[in-house]
Amino acid sequence: MIASVPLGADLGIFAISLAAGFVGALAGVGGGIFVVPALTLLFGVDIRLAIGASIVSVIATSSGAATAYVRDQMTDLHIGMFLELATVTGAIGGALLTAIVAPALLFVILGLVLLGSAGLQLLRLAELPTEASPPSPAAVRLHLVGSYPDRSMGRTVGYSARRIPLGFALMVVAGLVSGLLGIGSGALKVLALDGAMGLPIKVSSATSNFMIGVTAAASAGIYLSRGDVDPRIAAPVALGVLGGAVVGARILPHLSNPAVRRIFVPVLIVIGLQTLARGLGLA
Amino acid sequence: MTAERFRTWVATVLIIGVSISAALIALGFGGALFVGWSGSLLGRAAGSADPSDFSTVVAGLTELRPIAIAQVGLLVLVATPVVRVAVSLIAFGLERDRLYAAITASVLALLLLSLLVVR
Repeated sequence: MIASVPLGADLGIFAISLAAGFVGALAGVGGGIFVVPALTLLFGVDIRLAIGASIVSVIATSSGAATAYVRDQMTDLHIGMFLELATVTGAIGGALLTAIVAPALLFVILGLVLLGSAGLQLLRLAELPTEASPPSPAAVRLHLVGSYPDRSMGRTVGYSARRIPLGFALMVVAGLVSGLLGIGSGALKVLALDGAMGLPIKVSSATSNFMIGVTAAASAGIYLSRGDVDPRIAAPVALGVLGGAVVGARILPHLSNPAVRRIFVPVLIVIGLQTLARGLGLA
Repeated sequence: MTAERFRTWVATVLIIGVSISAALIALGFGGALFVGWSGSLLGRAAGSADPSDFSTVVAGLTELRPIAIAQVGLLVLVATPVVRVAVSLIAFGLERDRLYAAITASVLALLLLSLLVVR
């Protein structure tokens, strides 16, 4: 248990959370990646309470951003719900496997996967969404076909999900990782939507954002009952992240797809390095 | 129901959930600046409850303790995605979209199961 945080620290936590929510909303990831190191390194918060606050920040990013993304048709509700089936199943499997699997090795593998994906993403930095090839019969049957208004291009862009089994399998893995390691795994979700299923990065980011709230809510119960969520820390984090996410989500529709990728790739590299460091016991 | 109306439903649930939780958390946080986290907006004696213990939230709320107000706000925030899935189930049902009603019902069932499994 920590002593009550002084007001200056409250404002500092709020300001950092504001930035975390803003970047998280744009990149399709939870704010946890910035919140946990800031709380532990800058404000000396116990790691257990920092992770409890980070679960809250993932849900806040997701719901805060989705208030705008859903209305602006950036989120694909069908693709999101279909894949939530995969992530929630994976998350339960992961929670059941925590006693068996060594988290350190898993952190190392995940870190390497994320850094490798960042390399692949770099090759695609200038890529614009290609016009939808005719949707596969499976995509039509599963309603995994849609369109979104791209304000930066001034027109509606159609898309349909490709490689559906691969995308679904990756989402089960993302869920497993969430359950095992207690992270939101938004980066993996964006990679599955954008890389595997071939959706525009803006739709991938908004849909990943939408999904991480459900994945995190599935594990929030444990954190609450364990006493890991301390309102003295989680309250300024939630307020800051909500504010940042609401603003970020209003900006994304106006950004070009390459611009969104230029935000996502550095975030991916930071998450990859951080995950690797945790696996190697450096963080 | 059209896809447009479904979108509106989901967006409305999210806006209501986020607004209520933000208002409560802000009230708790603001109140704490004046009377402290363990204080009471009714001027009751300082509480001794563990701030991370959510089982004392009802008692704390009757005494308008900032800590309890913020706790309720955090609970509303955590519940919002789950309520969003539940509302989607109703929407898909009304839309007679059997495939997605089944998918959403499974997600909801698994979410509730996860609360039992993870103990």
